Amino acid sequence: MSASLVEVRDLEVTFGARRFFGGGGPALRAVAGVSFAVRPGEVLGLVGESGSGKTTIGRAILRLLEPSGGAVRFGGEDITHLPKPALRPYRRRMQMIFQDPYSSLNPRLKVRDIVGEAYEIHRIGTRGDRAERVAEMLDRVGLPRDAMDRYPHEFSGGQRQRIGIARALAVGPELVVADEPVSALDVSVQAQVVNLLLGLQRSLGLTLLFVAHDLGLVQFISDRVVVLYLGRVMEIAPSQTLYERPRHPYTAALLEAVPKPDPAARRRSEPLRGEIPSPFAPPSGCVFRTRCPYAIEACAQVTPSVTPVGPDHVKACIRDDIL
Amino acid sequence: MSLLQVRELRTEFQLEDAVARAVDGVSFDVARGETLAVVGESGSGKSVAALSIMRLVPPPGGTTGGEVLLAGRNLLSLREREMRRVRGAEIGMIFQEPMSCLNPLLTVGEQVAETVRLHRGLGRSAAWRHAEEMLARVNIPEPRRRAADYPHHLSGGMRQRVMIAIALACSPPLLIADEPTTALDVTIQAQILELMRALQSELGMGMLFITHDLGVVAQVADRVAVMYAGRVVEQGTVGEVFARPLHPYTRALLRAIPRAGERRDPARLLPAIPGQVPSAAALPPGCAFAPRCALATAQCRAAVPPEEAAGPGRLVRCIRWREA
Repeated sequence: MSASLVEVRDLEVTFGARRFFGGGGPALRAVAGVSFAVRPGEVLGLVGESGSGKTTIGRAILRLLEPSGGAVRFGGEDITHLPKPALRPYRRRMQMIFQDPYSSLNPRLKVRDIVGEAYEIHRIGTRGDRAERVAEMLDRVGLPRDAMDRYPHEFSGGQRQRIGIARALAVGPELVVADEPVSALDVSVQAQVVNLLLGLQRSLGLTLLFVAHDLGLVQFISDRVVVLYLGRVMEIAPSQTLYERPRHPYTAALLEAVPKPDPAARRRSEPLRGEIPSPFAPPSGCVFRTRCPYAIEACAQVTPSVTPVGPDHVKACIRDDIL
Repeated sequence: MSLLQVRELRTEFQLEDAVARAVDGVSFDVARGETLAVVGESGSGKSVAALSIMRLVPPPGGTTGGEVLLAGRNLLSLREREMRRVRGAEIGMIFQEPMSCLNPLLTVGEQVAETVRLHRGLGRSAAWRHAEEMLARVNIPEPRRRAADYPHHLSGGMRQRVMIAIALACSPPLLIADEPTTALDVTIQAQILELMRALQSELGMGMLFITHDLGVVAQVADRVAVMYAGRVVEQGTVGEVFARPLHPYTRALLRAIPRAGERRDPARLLPAIPGQVPSAAALPPGCAFAPRCALATAQCRAAVPPEEAAGPGRLVRCIRWREA
């Protein structure tokens, strides 16, 4: 196996635990011991429903929020507790694309400054060649050069997401975390932006962490997929394997729940029962057991460990006699 | 006669310097016991069409033409007072965000009970009993206890169940659902769609289901009307439209959806539709899809194509559908 670009080990992120003045509300364990690796040049999908921790994991990797446990290694270096100045060179190597192209761009800045800001922060190039660099980036993401002197509100949702991509790629990152980058867009525009992202990923040799709730989209885009539920890994597998032979009951249920655009393939089985439990009070043992059609008594007692079930394929489920 | 007949509906928004034709001559029917899905992207006019039927278009919008016949009666010519009786009693409504439709200061039981008191004239205790029954019917666990809960105590999925209970409390013959599962997680969405389907076959109401999601259409609808830029561009049974889409827009839209497990081409590109949806305030003179259509000719750009019958119950608004 090739060396990983990013390694996430037993990552924990906890919100709301007050550290001062004692007491305080209950803590929310948004990420509860997650481990996976991102290989250089691959597209890795993180998929899950509300409360799965997918967005939090993406942000913790970029150190946009502080992990409360575990480690994040980038290019072999442990960056989990690096102080800000030491983190700066890493910030250039990893960038983020946000979901909402409306709120993630400063409405008072022209596109020239939105994209150019990164050059300033990271002191790339000279003031004189900055405009040329911005123009090149706009070209790469399929925007006309004259977009430079316009403001975000003058663009459609799809074009704004292109600006967001240009901003993220301006500093030449190795890793891009894209958090629901097309969820706010219409289907016809979504396909354009997906194609752009994949095209850039291949031509620039980027490593892409693609975070989304839409399993169909994630499978289409990703080489491998990490399936998350309530802050824990349920299954990790290559895209095609995950579809052809999901080994975790949650993955199987998720695949079944996605409404397929084919009236001949109407679901016949009962949909998954119950609600997603509150992350403030996750079930004991396997967090999925309260909704799992295969749950047995032991599932409430042991937290299943992540174990290999095939080539490049792991799952966290104690039952080996199903699926 | 169909339960709901929408004929040449037109709704416009008066902007400062232009008129946005949000719904531009839309016609469709919903029969008793049938689900018609109206599908489209943002700006297609699907939600405005639904609001127009309920006469809830906010200013500066207004319905300027057409007819909305519910069991033969034109809703557009009713007085507002009569229309208030129609909403709730004859048309149930569910929206995307249940939180913005529920009163945060009343328990959910009170809100269901209020609907039946208002429209059915039931007494307080009879209305409360009916409310508990309705909450049980939408599969809310422990309905008696939940009836005393306030909306903020409930999850998004449970709130949507409450909205369905309110919408169906008076057994209306027609249910209008505008993106009812869009804000929900996919496993919860599956539950709500299943519930709506079960209630429909039990109560036999007609359902107008507004959505942007072709997957949802395929799962819930009997027939589908595809909207683009304020017009219906194609209509037919879901079986036919998904198997043999006739309008170039429908075809392009179906191709642009990434499907789980689909064999990807090595370049991993989705067949995207170039360009973007035109603004309702600046529609091109001819077919609104022409600027993005690979088949478009000068004739397409010159005049709005008429709706053509392309088989029983099958309509398409494209002059080149035979060649496609």
